[in-house]
Amino acid sequence: MATAPYNYSYIFKYIIIGDMGVGKSCLLHQFTEKKFMADCPHTIGVEFGTRIMEVSGQKIKLQIWDTAGQERFRAVTRSYYRGAAGALMVYDITRRSTYNHLGSWLTDARNLTNPNTVIILIGNKADLEAQRDVTYEEAKQFAEENGLLFLEASAKTGENVEDAFLEAAKKIYQNIQDGSLDLNAAESGVQHKPSAPQGGRLTSETQPQREGCGC
Amino acid sequence: MSFFRRKAKGKEPERPADAKASKAPVSPHSPSLSGRNHHAILEAAGPSHVAISAISANMDSFARGRTAILKKQPSHMEAAHFGDLGRSSVNYQIQETRSRLSKTVDQILRDNVALPYFIQFMETRSAEHLVRFWLEAESFRSTSWSRVRAHSLNSVKHSTLAEPAAALGSPDSPDSPNHSSRPLNLDEGDEEDAFSSRTSSRPHTPSPQDTNSHSGALMSHRDSVSFDGTAQPGTLQLQPALRSETPTRQTSSRTGTPVKGLRELSDKLMKSIERDAVNIFTKYISPDAARPIPITEQIRNDIVAKICGEDGQVDPNCFVIAQSVVFSIIDQQHFTEFLRSHYFCKYQIEVLTSGSVFLADILFCESALFYFSEYMEKEDAMNVLQFWLAAENFQDQLAAKKGQYDGQEAQNDAMILYDKYFSLQATNPLGFGDSVRMEIESNICREGGPLPDCFNTPLRQAWTTMEKVYMPGFLSSNLYYKYLSDLINSVRVDEFIGGNANTPNQGWTQEGERNSSVTEGSHVQLQQGTKKAAIKILKNFDEAITVDIASLDPESLYQRPYAGRMTFGKVNELGQFIREAEPEPDVKKSKGSMFSLAMKKWVQGNSDEAQEEMAWKIAKMIVNDVMQQGHHGSPEVKATKL
Repeated sequence: MATAPYNYSYIFKYIIIGDMGVGKSCLLHQFTEKKFMADCPHTIGVEFGTRIMEVSGQKIKLQIWDTAGQERFRAVTRSYYRGAAGALMVYDITRRSTYNHLGSWLTDARNLTNPNTVIILIGNKADLEAQRDVTYEEAKQFAEENGLLFLEASAKTGENVEDAFLEAAKKIYQNIQDGSLDLNAAESGVQHKPSAPQGGRLTSETQPQREGCGC
Repeated sequence: MSFFRRKAKGKEPERPADAKASKAPVSPHSPSLSGRNHHAILEAAGPSHVAISAISANMDSFARGRTAILKKQPSHMEAAHFGDLGRSSVNYQIQETRSRLSKTVDQILRDNVALPYFIQFMETRSAEHLVRFWLEAESFRSTSWSRVRAHSLNSVKHSTLAEPAAALGSPDSPDSPNHSSRPLNLDEGDEEDAFSSRTSSRPHTPSPQDTNSHSGALMSHRDSVSFDGTAQPGTLQLQPALRSETPTRQTSSRTGTPVKGLRELSDKLMKSIERDAVNIFTKYISPDAARPIPITEQIRNDIVAKICGEDGQVDPNCFVIAQSVVFSIIDQQHFTEFLRSHYFCKYQIEVLTSGSVFLADILFCESALFYFSEYMEKEDAMNVLQFWLAAENFQDQLAAKKGQYDGQEAQNDAMILYDKYFSLQATNPLGFGDSVRMEIESNICREGGPLPDCFNTPLRQAWTTMEKVYMPGFLSSNLYYKYLSDLINSVRVDEFIGGNANTPNQGWTQEGERNSSVTEGSHVQLQQGTKKAAIKILKNFDEAITVDIASLDPESLYQRPYAGRMTFGKVNELGQFIREAEPEPDVKKSKGSMFSLAMKKWVQGNSDEAQEEMAWKIAKMIVNDVMQQGHHGSPEVKATKL
């Protein structure tokens, strides 16, 4: 996507993880290109894509690293988890095994990312209701038990795809605002930049402090 | 307005100007701020000052280099033929390229630059004796082996005596320290320094029984020792000593007792090994040592047995088991914390501001890669990076299988890459030449599937391209500066909190060898306080780049809020006289109580800071105003936030 430089105030690094064939690359592609790749080949190692979205009036660029799901690439993809601000953990609602493996993906994610990383669980292929193998309720419960956001989405129809990325971004942004995410740590997964002309805001994170000042 | 802002295309002319603009605020504003504020900023900025000079050094060379490169290469690499830029400065070998910013325990223990930081860190945990023991034991082991080898070659010489003096010739080093000082040189102080040069002598295997073997072996010892440029008085003295000792012995006893001379020498070598072993034992292993390492009684006895061997010889490997115990303690209990400590950040900063940052440092370190990917995207060169990442990952996982992989699967994977980047109908063509394409084709279609080196040629080309065309720009970019500032700020925050590296409420358990973030301070409030200070410094640079018309209304500079009344004052209902005019400038306002002053300070922050803020704002408004004079059709200005 053509972007004017400095059109965004932040860059968040995301990773997409999950079993092979659940639709990680398709989710990314739907999000960045607004198209569904019907027969895309499996990902070799990692790929990344970017897109700018708006959260609370701030333009935020997402740098999304899409990892290969094949077991043989597991070792190499692990090195990309570090320094992620957000993680999308994807399973396929029509294949129970991909849901069952979530435990191991979650362990990896928790171990290799930092404690403030926002993890969102995505049940992909929501359009294939007839072949559903995992109910919404049980996944929702799993997500709640583990402190994850949760959405069912469909890369094919585009349903909830934007929301998936957006919800995570909102949570990350909120963490920045309330200080639980240290922007200046080199591995926060967030780059913050001087903001473009947006009606009076210079740097956003100093705003909370500024409002306390009695000028 | 646009002259403060960066454009998307047309990279080269803007960038040096941009960078200069980012540096500019330091100078013009320092006269307006008090001198002491400026110094305070620099002081607090500390290493970022270093970073600035490192970057400015980069920028000058970059500005020249980039123009040269741009003239040669088209800026859109995908469109044109993917030129082979020759060999990169790092000879591209997959297994060997690693980032200096990502370290394992083993690498740190063998890295002279990182080691001091690690030892400092361990000192804060009162565990530095573990590291020192490991280093001393390691150097003992390698030097003992070389001494043993020298000794056994001596024995060989006894049996095949022929032209000993002529073979040795005259040594070039005049040093001949006395024997007793030799072992002292070996264990004194510079274990860490001497260590790196000694390890090189380890892999050397003694040459066969030849009349020249003795000198040959010694010479290659000498060569391998001296690969490390700086003089290591400890080690170098050993080898030339051997060389110079033996000929003098030879010549003096040429009359008939060369054998005796050599035997004396061998004895001395063996004794020195014994002395060192006992030294290390007393320091670390003996139960009444000052800082004993935590090993079991069994291991201790084993070491004793090996030192006091039956044949009177000390086994050079006597400490190996203890070493591995200590190594695993360091690895499991201390290393992950080190990677999160500000000591490691300091080390990274040192590497990054050393003036020579290699592409490997960036590409194999996730946090640097994050910034570099953003840079590559801005440069429209994501495809090069994507290809490199994919092919590198593919080859890595194949190589890790050590030959036990499914050839068909590997071929399918390779075909995916081929279709994406190489084929004539490629979706993301990189413009590789025909010869490369055909080479890849034959590599992929190989009987039994592709080998782990199948994409080496295009990988090397992509690597060299990134190194020569994009990395210089990245290292001079604002992104890189931001990355460095983040690292530096992490260090500062951590040090402010008192180097408190332990945050038990954040249970990170990791396989972590890769570099990591700095700990987030235990108190968010404290952090925010220091964050404010840190952000302030950065703000000065960041804000200089974007000066918004919308936010600052120059009219407020000239407004007179109190101008309306034109009376001196009036008497209110209590009979008090209220002054309307502005007070005289040198009349101080009533101070109020200490408490209210303190409250004011707490609420408003340092008055210096507030003044500085005001100065900034006013300066910006002035600039704004000037700009507006130039643009008659400027947009309607909203009310300011003042």
